Amino acid sequence: MATTTATLTLASTDLLSDELALTTSATLTGHNNATGVTAAIGLSRVTIADTSETTIFDASAYTDDKAHKVYIKNTESDASYSFLVKVGGTELGRLYAGDFMFAPWNADTTGTDCDVTITPSNSGMTAEYMAFID
Amino acid sequence: MATTATITLTSADIAGDPVNVSKTATCTKAGATTDLDQSTGLQRVHLRSTANKVLLAANAEGNDLAAKVYIINKATDPTLYLTITINAQTIGKLYAGDWMFIPWSQTDTAANIEVAATNHTAGTGDIPVEYALFHEDTDFLTNA
Repeated sequence: MATTTATLTLASTDLLSDELALTTSATLTGHNNATGVTAAIGLSRVTIADTSETTIFDASAYTDDKAHKVYIKNTESDASYSFLVKVGGTELGRLYAGDFMFAPWNADTTGTDCDVTITPSNSGMTAEYMAFID
Repeated sequence: MATTATITLTSADIAGDPVNVSKTATCTKAGATTDLDQSTGLQRVHLRSTANKVLLAANAEGNDLAAKVYIINKATDPTLYLTITINAQTIGKLYAGDWMFIPWSQTDTAANIEVAATNHTAGTGDIPVEYALFHEDTDFLTNA
């Protein structure tokens, strides 16, 4: 059993009148159990030549309804360059330059395949991604 | 008003080589270098519904604006998980102690973020859920 830890720190000294300093860590476990996730899709990098929607995680390639986690980062530095992220065709939001996301993913295939896709706002944009697989 | 988010992903044994990814992002407005300047602050609810409940209500004015959502399942029982749904699409499940941090650009007023305590029964107890929204535009402020 592997031990995988995901830690998030949210910090701001001036967003609110009190300082924001939130840190939380999670040990990634399987569906309905305390066993660590067993596999990973290592950190990958893709440059998309045009502005077409691109699938980075294909739900049909993973076990349905499990405790997968996905990480995606927009590596660009130009603030106007964003990736639109969709799950199962539903828009989550846009990752602007330097932004990342970390989310649970159940790889559902019972209705619409719950693929994770990214659509760049400009051609030639690069994203990094990885996943932890239950 | 800089708000930063730092993620660290580590594992010594999930692959042949250790995983150690650490990245920091400064949360900015859409397509700009201006910092996000609005937040709901950290909220806490106790969920006992197996049906979807609106955690963050969508507002079409937020479409294509920058917003970040943080949600954590504060339960300690590994069988008590949250099912996360956005705009009627199930995204995934947050198990005990799990957290998520995602962008949220509402496409329309149906793009609510909803949660369900899928395995809840009278005997399991509530699932404590904490969440926060960081966003732009005061008209965008939404909170269930």
